[in-house]
Amino acid sequence: MIQIRQVSLWYRDGRKVVDNVSAEIRRGQTVVICGPSGSGKSSLLRCINGLERFQEGEILVDGISVSSPSTDLHALRAEIGMVFQHFELYPHMTVLDNITLAPRKVRKKTRQEAETKAMELLNRVGIPDKAAVYPGELSGGQQQRVAIARSLAMEPKAMLFDEPTSALDPEMIKEVLDVMVDLARSGMTMVVVSHEMGFAREVADEVIFMDAGRFIEKKATASFFASAENPRTREFLSRILT
Amino acid sequence: MLHYDFEWSVLWRYPYGGMFIQGIWTTVHLSLFSWMIAILLGLTVCLCRMTPLRAARFLGGAYVELFRNIPLLVQLFFWYFAAPSLLPRELELWLYGNVKDLGYLVAVIALGTYTAARVSEAIRSGLLAVPRGQYRAAHSTGLSGGQTYRHVVLPYALRISWPLLTTEFLTCFKNSALAMTIGVLETTGTAAYVDSFTFHGLETTTAASCVYLATSGAVILTMSRIEKRMRIPGLIRRGYN
Ligand SMILES: Nc1ncnc2c1ncn2[C@@H]1O[C@H](COP(=O)(O)OP(=O)(O)O)[C@@H](O)[C@H]1O
Ligand SMILES: [Mg+2]
Repeated sequence: MIQIRQVSLWYRDGRKVVDNVSAEIRRGQTVVICGPSGSGKSSLLRCINGLERFQEGEILVDGISVSSPSTDLHALRAEIGMVFQHFELYPHMTVLDNITLAPRKVRKKTRQEAETKAMELLNRVGIPDKAAVYPGELSGGQQQRVAIARSLAMEPKAMLFDEPTSALDPEMIKEVLDVMVDLARSGMTMVVVSHEMGFAREVADEVIFMDAGRFIEKKATASFFASAENPRTREFLSRILT
Repeated sequence: MLHYDFEWSVLWRYPYGGMFIQGIWTTVHLSLFSWMIAILLGLTVCLCRMTPLRAARFLGGAYVELFRNIPLLVQLFFWYFAAPSLLPRELELWLYGNVKDLGYLVAVIALGTYTAARVSEAIRSGLLAVPRGQYRAAHSTGLSGGQTYRHVVLPYALRISWPLLTTEFLTCFKNSALAMTIGVLETTGTAAYVDSFTFHGLETTTAASCVYLATSGAVILTMSRIEKRMRIPGLIRRGYN
């Protein structure tokens, strides 16, 4: 479903932020990426849906190259949902409008169709009563669940999560993770940047530890936790698992 | 004691009453026409500054620095006294012979182009305050660049720019008084004109001040009412990437 082949990325200063990484995420799989701040996780994630241009390598989504000039990036992005650390809901729109904007403008759905679908999704993420409210009036956990609903409204083939619970108070983390676990179990293809190792254990097929732009450790979930080889991985794990 | 006999009737007595009405009306349309130029030109200049095109960015930046750093009075004098003589001789003569209200026309242009530079900056600061994550979120759902601007970025930016734009409009309105220096009989000009016949400058300038105060007050009230209606709970400014 998503193939990442020897991708490297650097910004203006020339320092490699993503350094020759490869991975394959098959349909229905969930892959969790963890690693210290600044290691290039967000940048890599943004490469997958073409929000960031990379200089070397290739990424294929459903066989379509993200970086090829002939690719319709807007169409490609419409097929990949993305959830951000800081939610990024549109503050001037109600929850319902946040969710229906892209389906109406990109998929050309009628308002009625889009709203019916949106209500269904709000039900699914557990806040059907918040449709008419503005994002600023919601808790962080509720905002993030709206953001997930906004992505799902496009009926994406895959979902990217960039530290979806890092900006949340502890008591709200679970409500968001529950939604994500459901999603993973329902067969969604997911790439999740997160330090929630409980979540990784529960639903990830593969876990990747990233540091300084490289994949230091990349293993099936069980063996990642049982037998991480690299000392840096083990040190990182011991720090976040306590 | 006070050696001054108040005579408020100069404000409405024939023929001065009509002059004042005329003057106030001139202030109103002079500042509104200038404001229209300022918004259209300001938005254009601002968009120039935001494009990836280097030449356009340079021109936009140069415009802003040039127009907002030269005193408005100097710009008025330039357009009125100097600019026509840069034209071909025939055109200059035609201009003086056929354009009845050259002073008014020049005032609209000068005030409009000057205010445009400031409006451009007000809009730009709003656009720059929109977090990068908003663009990313919109793009990630497949919205095009135009759709992202139209539905996400501009509505957000406008709410941030609104108070600045209100201030700029008020400044434009008050700056219109400078037009009297090139012979436009707007409110302030009329006050001075009537004073020159009646020697009742105290009454006329008081009246002019009241006109400005009242109009500004009305504008502030209206704009803040609109601002309240647009205000969104939880619209905060953030600067992360
Ligand atoms: N748009 C950008 N322009 C320049 N440098 C950036 C940009 N985004 C991220 N970086 C830099 O790239 C490095 C990796 O950032 P990021 O991908 O956000 O890492 P992570 O998500 O793992 O914390 C950091 O050093 C960051 O400062
Ligand atoms: Mg990050």
